[in-house]
Amino acid sequence: MSEGLPEGFEDLEGWLNWSLPTMLERSGRRSASSMAELQVFYDALLPRIQDALAYLSKIEVGAGAAADQRLLNLTKCLAEVAPAVELFAEPVISYGYDVERFRVDPE
Amino acid sequence: MAEAQSPYKAPKRYHSQYPEMGTGPVPIEPYVSADYYALEVEHIFKRTWLYACRVEEISQPGDFLVVDLPACDTSVVVVRNAEGGIGAFHNMCSHRGNKIAYDERGSVDSFTCRFHGWSYKLNGDLAFVPDRDNYFDIDRSCLGLSAVQVDEWQGFVFVNVDPEPEETLAQYLGDLGAGLNGYPFAATSGKAHRFETVVKANWKLVKDAFQEVCHTPYQHRRSLPDAYQNGENPHTRLIDMSVVGHHGRASLFGNVNHVPSPVAAHAYAHGSTIVSAALGDEQAEELAAPGVNPTGSRDWSYELLVFFPSFFLAVARGSYFVHQFIPLGVDQTLWRSMICYPAPKNLAEQFSQEYSRVMFRDIMCEDGRQIEETQAMLKSGAKQTFILKDEELLIRQGLFEGEQMINERRNKQGRKA
Repeated sequence: MSEGLPEGFEDLEGWLNWSLPTMLERSGRRSASSMAELQVFYDALLPRIQDALAYLSKIEVGAGAAADQRLLNLTKCLAEVAPAVELFAEPVISYGYDVERFRVDPE
Repeated sequence: MAEAQSPYKAPKRYHSQYPEMGTGPVPIEPYVSADYYALEVEHIFKRTWLYACRVEEISQPGDFLVVDLPACDTSVVVVRNAEGGIGAFHNMCSHRGNKIAYDERGSVDSFTCRFHGWSYKLNGDLAFVPDRDNYFDIDRSCLGLSAVQVDEWQGFVFVNVDPEPEETLAQYLGDLGAGLNGYPFAATSGKAHRFETVVKANWKLVKDAFQEVCHTPYQHRRSLPDAYQNGENPHTRLIDMSVVGHHGRASLFGNVNHVPSPVAAHAYAHGSTIVSAALGDEQAEELAAPGVNPTGSRDWSYELLVFFPSFFLAVARGSYFVHQFIPLGVDQTLWRSMICYPAPKNLAEQFSQEYSRVMFRDIMCEDGRQIEETQAMLKSGAKQTFILKDEELLIRQGLFEGEQMINERRNKQGRKA
């Protein structure tokens, strides 16, 4: 359990390798994935996001256990993948600027 | 008659108010000419208030931040001093000119030069000179760091490398700045998400991408399919736009019937997002500022403020974002952005802000590519001008203001000589 998700979210533990701590890693995962892979991840997470956010909304910033942080990072990965699935219909934005050229804050 | 009732269907509402700017094509030369860039450096960037940072970035005594301003031929250290005030200095040791701060940001008790150990207090005074007996005529009282003019507006810190600025910061920001009194900038600056990138384009070309929104139905047709347009306003026309002093502003139309995507809807439920629907009938504290949604439109989504020369601010309910265009050369710009929210109280709000951060970045990706592709063509000589439509007034205004500033200051110099 020390490396898992909070109680009640065990069904998502197969996606733990998508629970990435930084924006750079999450956008890297999005860029390196096929559309089919992103769609499978999205389809698995979307039905659970409401419960996940209800759970996370009860945890103050800085007060979460490691498992809570992993669940948050998993939902953040959904935030990264969502525009690719819902809006662009491709992992990397065609005719777009190279996302790796943006320097972002450390997390 | 129905046509006339929609303010978004009446064409050419703005240029007629500013006949001095004309309506003709504008020259491309200022975007590619090294000579024009040299004039901008001398008469604009070295003489004007430039945004440096937010106060939250230097909240404690000793917190400092280095702002490199190649267009002012300098690097500036902005620091919170022991008394709680904010100071700014050229990043240069009085001994032999080395930078006193190499790090981009940090927290110190004093600044010590890495070269020979001269050290300076947070107020810039020279504090200590190692082996002082071996120098000639050292007068500590006049060997402090060289001050840079600094002032603060609504928690935004500006610097001006002109030792005697023509206007105070408050005078410079004028009515446009004053109109934002009442917007809760401090509360909305709890969490800033920052981006920066070096774009191969003139600083004005980067800015121009944000001075109009009529590219939204095309360049952002996938990222923003229905947030800022609808059947009544298919060309993303603005609610209202005007020139205020040196600057420009516009109220951005939003679609009250915007349907968020599934994940966006979850993000909306836990905080504000970058793509928010229009105001509708809601009331909000943010909107008490007279300069925010001044026409009181229920279609309002964002107030866009373009402070000349290079500071862009967009305020909404519960969030604001900033673009900054720092020239590195005639065809290279450091593009710095931040999107700011109240500090997230719980982890679901962190998710919500992450979704906005991703959307903000993806939209910038669409803009960034166009900016570089355009710049790559400007020197071809195939076209000498840009054609501007009415809604592109602020692009014309920025060029007009720059040219006027250059000409006035050149004339003054000429009279002195």
